[in-house]
Amino acid sequence: MVSKMLKRLIGIATAVATISTMAVTAFADEPYDTYSYDNWDDPIPSQAGYMVERTWMGHDLGLDKLSDPDSKFFISKSESPNLNAAADMYIEDSTRTIWVADTGNNRILCFNEDFVLKGCYKTIDGAEKSNFAAPRGLFVEVDKNGDTILYVADTENSRAVKLKVTGALTCELQQDFLKPTSQAYSAEAFSPSKVIVDKEGNVYLVATTVNTGALRYDKNGEFKGYFGANRVQQTAEVIARKVWRIFASEEQLQAMATTVPTEFHNFDMDEDGFIYTVTESVNADTDAVKKLNPAGYNIWNNAKGNEYHFGDIARDYDEGVAKKTKLTDIVVGDNDVFNVLDYESGRVFQYDKNADLLFIFGTKSQPSEQEGSFTSPNAVETLGTKVYVLDGLKNDITVFDETVFGKYVHEASVLNVEGKYTEAKPIWEEVMKRDGGYTMAHIALGKACLNAGEYKQAMKYFKTAYDQENYDKAYEYYRDEFLREHFEVIVIGLVVFFILVAVYSHLKKKKIIWSITECLAFVLYKISGAFKSLMRR
Amino acid sequence: MYEFTTLGWLRHVIFHPLEGFEDLRWKKRGSIGLSLIIVVLLFVAMVVDRQLKGFAFNTAYVKVFNVVPLIVQSFVYFFVWVIGNWAVCTLFDGEGTLKNICIYSAYAIVPYIFGVYLATFISNFLILDEAIWVNFISYIGLGWSVILMIQAMKAVHQYSLFKTILSILGTLIAMLLILFLAVLLLSLFQQVYVFIYSLYTEIAYRIRG
Repeated sequence: MVSKMLKRLIGIATAVATISTMAVTAFADEPYDTYSYDNWDDPIPSQAGYMVERTWMGHDLGLDKLSDPDSKFFISKSESPNLNAAADMYIEDSTRTIWVADTGNNRILCFNEDFVLKGCYKTIDGAEKSNFAAPRGLFVEVDKNGDTILYVADTENSRAVKLKVTGALTCELQQDFLKPTSQAYSAEAFSPSKVIVDKEGNVYLVATTVNTGALRYDKNGEFKGYFGANRVQQTAEVIARKVWRIFASEEQLQAMATTVPTEFHNFDMDEDGFIYTVTESVNADTDAVKKLNPAGYNIWNNAKGNEYHFGDIARDYDEGVAKKTKLTDIVVGDNDVFNVLDYESGRVFQYDKNADLLFIFGTKSQPSEQEGSFTSPNAVETLGTKVYVLDGLKNDITVFDETVFGKYVHEASVLNVEGKYTEAKPIWEEVMKRDGGYTMAHIALGKACLNAGEYKQAMKYFKTAYDQENYDKAYEYYRDEFLREHFEVIVIGLVVFFILVAVYSHLKKKKIIWSITECLAFVLYKISGAFKSLMRR
Repeated sequence: MYEFTTLGWLRHVIFHPLEGFEDLRWKKRGSIGLSLIIVVLLFVAMVVDRQLKGFAFNTAYVKVFNVVPLIVQSFVYFFVWVIGNWAVCTLFDGEGTLKNICIYSAYAIVPYIFGVYLATFISNFLILDEAIWVNFISYIGLGWSVILMIQAMKAVHQYSLFKTILSILGTLIAMLLILFLAVLLLSLFQQVYVFIYSLYTEIAYRIRG
């Protein structure tokens, strides 16, 4: 009887234990590892700054309306209700509309910020070639008259077009940008894949296989030259080739492969007119991410050594995988926080204005059905607190929203960039409560202490973050303060010391006392003698 | 003349780089015990340099402390130097014995060791803008030791200056050879070990059936 009850009890206990462990494993976590890099460039686990809010597939986006005769968005019965290999996405901030270049279906889609369908553009009024052919890039702006102007890199038609949106399904050609007739353009083909437009209406096109930079057109469609080419990455091969060139004969020189820079793949522009570019070529470190001023000069050119790292540095979070990065898209959001999308690992890297890493989220290694995991991440966009990633193979859009932790970090980092360390201090303390290993929080708190004159505490923070330069600064102040406060003691000490030395050498010269070693030996001898006599007693 | 204690002799050779080692040789007063202590101090200097440098000056990866490279940097390099030098110079009419080469070399590196300690010590009180002082001290120590080493080798083998420098270059090559052979030997033994271990596992499997 007793043993039966015992058995039952044990049975219940095991069941409870199993259920509780199951509950733990079933907890919906992000499918990706959240980490950041410390001052050693070692990856350290961190809190999630972004969580998946939801994903939007063709049906959720209301794309079936396009083939529904009763809907005002009806185009034709055969219109696909899904995205197909969509290559680019753009969010127009002032109207808060989301635009998607649905490359495989040759159409441009427009949604409001809640992903309610607002328009679909398949044909261009007033153009010779009235259809799009695999449009791979787009840019949207609202002009002075309140008209929505759409720029599309119409890749397979070898053109870019400037369109005025005239309705939910109609748009009108305003200007096209064709293959440059200038001598400066030497490539055979012309396939523009990305487009941006600056405040003056100059159009910049990235064309595949053109590595001399972005093509710049004025607003009348005239080619004006190139902008912001990448440099050649100095690999061992390139250097060896340079050495060979010195010795090679004319024929050998001609047979030799030339070293050319890799073209940048995508770009974005911030509110001040700086252009950010990313290079997709595998493992490119030189000029992987650039911030170009309007003259085409790269601000992040690493001239002072390797200050700027982008993308993954170590591979601790992808075991057994060779290091690969293919940065495919970049977007600049509020406060110049920018996101870089790595096609190879499916990760979004978020940086603040100073190019310091904030968060890493997203993945490719998990089953791609899971939200937050990608197969072919093509584009990243941001609006307010949200980050959108477009997947060209899953044909969906994933929306990430910042967590509480992310919110604190964002607020604090903005204050940090502005140099308001003291104001940022309480927020960084909140960050520290959630993630005590967040390097930037330690540095920022250290800077706050430095501002407040608490040098010792500042040194402690910098030491934890292993920020040697800032530690050095704090130590300089600390040392100054220490010397100032103890000035009298130090001076008196020095004076006494020199007097003692002078007296000693004088006495030694007069043979009144012995040398120091002899003194010490004598004292030791006396002590040991006293000790021995003590022992004897 | 020249009646010093052992430490006194050390001081004498350090501060008289031109004739100090000749005097030491003449009086036959080098101490092998002291030279071994100096080598231990060299090892400690390596550890101190890595671990106790001023925070802003320390470029080492302090997350992990591995003593093996430090042992190689101190003990292994020193003794390979001694053996290499002895091996080369016995072939070229050098008069130094293994013991004397060890003693003289150890005496010669004292300024370098002292420089490391001093540089490490003051780096704790300096800021990066004043890094030149740290570099200054360690370079002075190093340069001094190089001069002493040349003089020591010259005295111990009774060479001309030119021959001394040639023998030092020869020693460096000999060191490379010795280290290369040592690494080769180690990896061979590693393979032998792996072979025996796999034999053992194989037999163990068979026995178990």
